[in-house]
Amino acid sequence: MTREREEHVIGNVSDFPEGSHRLVKVGRREIGVFNVGGDFYGLPNVCPHQTGPLCEGKPPLGTLVSRRENDWRFEWVHDGEIVACPWHGLEYHIPTGRCIAYPSVTLRRYEVVVEGDEVKVRL
Amino acid sequence: MTQEATRQRERKEKLEDILVVDCDVHVHESPKELIPYCEMPWRVALENIQDVQEFYLDIPGFSPGTTAYEAVFPSGQEGRKMVHDAEQMRRELDEIHVDLGVLFPDHFLKIPVIAQTEYAAALARAYNAWLLDKWCDVEKGLLGCILACPQDPEDAAREIEKYANESGMVGVFLPCAGLERLWGHRQYDPIYEAAQAADLPVLLHSVTVIHPVFPFNTQQFETEFGRHICSHTFSMMANIVHMITTGVPVRYPDLRVAVTEAGISWVPFLMHKMDREYVERRREVPFLEDKPSTYLKKMYFATQPVEEPENLGDLVTMMNLYDGEDNTIFASDWPHHDFDHPSKVHQVPFTNEVRRKVFGENALRLFNMDANGNRLNLR
Repeated sequence: MTREREEHVIGNVSDFPEGSHRLVKVGRREIGVFNVGGDFYGLPNVCPHQTGPLCEGKPPLGTLVSRRENDWRFEWVHDGEIVACPWHGLEYHIPTGRCIAYPSVTLRRYEVVVEGDEVKVRL
Repeated sequence: MTQEATRQRERKEKLEDILVVDCDVHVHESPKELIPYCEMPWRVALENIQDVQEFYLDIPGFSPGTTAYEAVFPSGQEGRKMVHDAEQMRRELDEIHVDLGVLFPDHFLKIPVIAQTEYAAALARAYNAWLLDKWCDVEKGLLGCILACPQDPEDAAREIEKYANESGMVGVFLPCAGLERLWGHRQYDPIYEAAQAADLPVLLHSVTVIHPVFPFNTQQFETEFGRHICSHTFSMMANIVHMITTGVPVRYPDLRVAVTEAGISWVPFLMHKMDREYVERRREVPFLEDKPSTYLKKMYFATQPVEEPENLGDLVTMMNLYDGEDNTIFASDWPHHDFDHPSKVHQVPFTNEVRRKVFGENALRLFNMDANGNRLNLR
């Protein structure tokens, strides 16, 4: 049995410039809506670590990784694609919802679509 | 009947019937012993100090100790015991039911405090040559560790390569007492590369010193009581944290790492402290592909000086907290003052299976050798 998906208009495209994010409320849900390079993503505003307000922090940044191929030197990657929880700093990759520190943890992702000038969240 | 209940009824195996691999026993090296093995001009320095009075792990110009800092009272404790040759070691290990003993130095536990790099490296080379010549003997069950001089990592790597295929050498000793740069520093990469290539495990070992590096600035303690705890346990924690935070276990995934003479009760503590820190600061340690405790649990931990809780079952609980069934190894520290007789660890209420693992089987895996001490990785 497939449920009819609800669509909620959460604002205008102009409300979400590239590189920015906003917190929106849909019913009882708080959703962080991110515009990463023109693509829209929605993540829950709850960090699974200690329920911190994950999406209330600074605009998305990048993070550091190191790889054998580069002699384990630090590299700045995923620029503009990483949200860090303002409480304890746990980092998530916005497009995939993947937790950087614990790859087995993936956030629920809300589908965010643009239709005309409207930005909508599909539940 | 549950499996647990069946286990509880099994007859406890006797110590004499269990393979006992002792991962930490100490040979006594002295300036005089090493003279023939030492190169010029350092041999002259050894000749010059060969007759100076020796205090416990304390000889000027050889192994600066704590004697210089405090009143030196006579003591009734026979804690000044030394083992002078392989025959004596074999005899004494037989008395405490040890089948295979892994050899560490006495004085050179603190080789990191030697300020002259070339002298320290020459001492390490002399010790390695002497150890192989006079002590290492698979037939006798006496197995050596190559001393890696931290002051000269390139030379230490050459030493590992030199002895990599000696049947009597089974590991690499990383001295920690007074270490200037902790063992995670990338200056030591050549040592880890050589050890991994030779399939030789590295074993960290510390001892009490007073030295102006963390955690050996122990002059604040007026007692050996305090210094001893910090010099061993804190040093192991500092080095292990450093190694994990610089990615040693990730960069050298086949390297086996063991920790000696710090007991085991700190392992769960460190595991949880590091995992908690990792939540917040992963980007400082981007080498790690998993939470730090994953790497800690792959290391081996020697029992001595074993904690002695009123309820010895607490030791089983502590081990379980770090999944220690397969990575806890027995060590006596013979003949040092705080050695553990195997009968103490034998009292711990393990199942027979776990007891056999702790007393020997885990160590065989660490050293990749058979129950007779034959390395399985000689080329």
